[in-house]
Amino acid sequence: MSPPVTMAALRSLVAARFPQKARRQGVGVPTGVPAIDEALGDGLPASQLTELVSAAPSSGGQLVLARFLETTRTARQRVALIDAADGFAPHAISSDALRHLVWVRCRAFADALASGDVLVRDGNYAAIVIDLRGVAENVLRKQPGTTWHRLHRVIEHAAPAVLVLSPCPLVPAVPWRLVLSISHGLATKRMSQEQLAATLTVEIARGHVSEAMERAG
Amino acid sequence: MKFCVLWVPDFRLHALRRSDATLTGRAIALISGEGRKATIAEASPEAKGVAPGLAVTLAMAQCPGIVLRPRDPTAEVEAQRILIAASFSLSPRVEATAGGCCTVDLQGADAARTEAQMRSCIRELTKAGLPTRIGAAATPLLANIAAHCAEPLLIVTDTRSFLIPLPLTFAAPTPTQAEILSGWGIRTLGDLTALSKADIAQRLGTEGVALWERAAGETTSVLRLVEPSQTFEAQWEYEPPVESIEPLFFRLRAFAERIALELRAAQLVAEELTLTLFLEDETDYRRNFRLPEANTDLDSWLRVLNSHLETVRTAARVVRVRLVAKPIRAPEKQGGLFDTGLRDPAAFWENLARVSAIVGEGRVGTPIIADTHKPDAFILVKPTELVPAPAEPPIHPPRGLRLRRFRPPWPIHVKLAGERPTTIDSAQIRGAVCAVAGPWRVSGEWWRPKAWAVETWHVELSEGGVYQLAYTDDGWRVEGVLD
Repeated sequence: MSPPVTMAALRSLVAARFPQKARRQGVGVPTGVPAIDEALGDGLPASQLTELVSAAPSSGGQLVLARFLETTRTARQRVALIDAADGFAPHAISSDALRHLVWVRCRAFADALASGDVLVRDGNYAAIVIDLRGVAENVLRKQPGTTWHRLHRVIEHAAPAVLVLSPCPLVPAVPWRLVLSISHGLATKRMSQEQLAATLTVEIARGHVSEAMERAG
Repeated sequence: MKFCVLWVPDFRLHALRRSDATLTGRAIALISGEGRKATIAEASPEAKGVAPGLAVTLAMAQCPGIVLRPRDPTAEVEAQRILIAASFSLSPRVEATAGGCCTVDLQGADAARTEAQMRSCIRELTKAGLPTRIGAAATPLLANIAAHCAEPLLIVTDTRSFLIPLPLTFAAPTPTQAEILSGWGIRTLGDLTALSKADIAQRLGTEGVALWERAAGETTSVLRLVEPSQTFEAQWEYEPPVESIEPLFFRLRAFAERIALELRAAQLVAEELTLTLFLEDETDYRRNFRLPEANTDLDSWLRVLNSHLETVRTAARVVRVRLVAKPIRAPEKQGGLFDTGLRDPAAFWENLARVSAIVGEGRVGTPIIADTHKPDAFILVKPTELVPAPAEPPIHPPRGLRLRRFRPPWPIHVKLAGERPTTIDSAQIRGAVCAVAGPWRVSGEWWRPKAWAVETWHVELSEGGVYQLAYTDDGWRVEGVLD
């Protein structure tokens, strides 16, 4: 009988067999939300896809987006927002935090995927956010997995960090899937955005804590 | 080198091939004459066993798949314009010597730089479907001979040693002269110039002297210069009319190649492209494409045109297509030391144009909040190339969850206790309200017929979720979720 293979041994084996996959892809893009940045190590990983699931209404998905825009604005990094359901409200963000943003207002889910396919190849963006919230779940589920695998492949050779905001777990084989599942109420109304972001908790549905620590150095 | 000649072998065939996508890679031949007297004028290398002068029937027997066409003067004019435009990139003094042949005066040009330009010119013309050879030498005639010997570029520095081994035909003797010289055993230009000019003059007269001078490379001529194009447009009539986009793509590519070359030759760039499709029902479809960045980049033009054409549906077939480029001087700019600009501006603008074609005009850009209290009032502007330094943080930073809008807002039934919502019911959400904030009442433009007024509430549902409700003259709506 062969000796038991531990998970660590298996990981080392895979890392030795596929060194390009184990290689650190580049610096991350911080989101400004402590729970997410800690979970991912140093922010959204470049050249990778990260999925953030808003599993409950008012769970803070839009707050994460707002914080992310403010953080990238401070770093003067260009960001594209592909808004599948055209739900982004510019008034909800301070006007200065919009100046680095390219907002794509899609009419349909297919438009969002097609636009994403174009923009992820563009080397001018630090991050691309594909917001699928507001699209009916049955429409999202109908999309064949090959579409996402193709996007994975493109992102691997591209520079930007890609964040998919989804209403349900959607992207197959995503390196990182974080879930916001706690609904917030009106009691948070007086809290500053920074305080509120600090209270957000995320569950890691996919990804490895050890990998995050390794990425954080 | 003082002159160069750009020469396109089989020019008429290449011009024809450029005008018709179906001819790519096929054996083709040009015919002259009609009916039974029709013969082959020129044949492509793919037409095995077919030579000029062969009867059409014999050519068809020799090469069964051969495509036989008469000359296409329009296609030849279009191809000649490309050749002239490419010639202008070498020097402003250009002569359109013949179909598929241009002579350029290079006097005063830097030799090394000009050689690099000539190689670039060959690449560009070959890409445009006109495989070109360039010869450069001390006189136009020598340059022409050099072009015919080039593979694909030949720069003649030693005229004598270049001419000596060449066959006599390069000096273009008359049939009589050729017969006489052949009888003397003279086969090459070197054989002829080995004889003295005075002896040739004594035996063959002034015509013989002219021949000797041509053979020695002494003949020179004054160029009849052409003016560079002042208008940057091209059009083509389809016969029969077309109803698919492939022929349009093919034609627009050829147009764009030529116009881009002409613009570059004039040291201009295109600011705007205008595409007009003339339809069979005597209407036309016109569209202006303001290029995000003025340029002469063929690929970026084609991406803009193709992205748009893929979405175009016309009521009738297209009988004519026209492409016009609006020229401007190339803008000059220098970024600041600490500016965070674009890594690849061309790709940035091209990709935005592509995305714009996907999602629709006016739906891509940087949002600017409009100067009004009206809810959801904003405009989208062209993104800036430089991300400016961030401003001071706002004195009153936003608080609480952020709004994500439902566009259009969802109609909803609201039960009230007094003026406060207690339950909400719509196709998408329903439930009892456990907490309420509001109302916030705003109105504006009361001086206009379309005055607006809205009352906004935030409601928290028992089963979770905070929503923004709005009450207007049209009733209650859910404007979005605070998320």
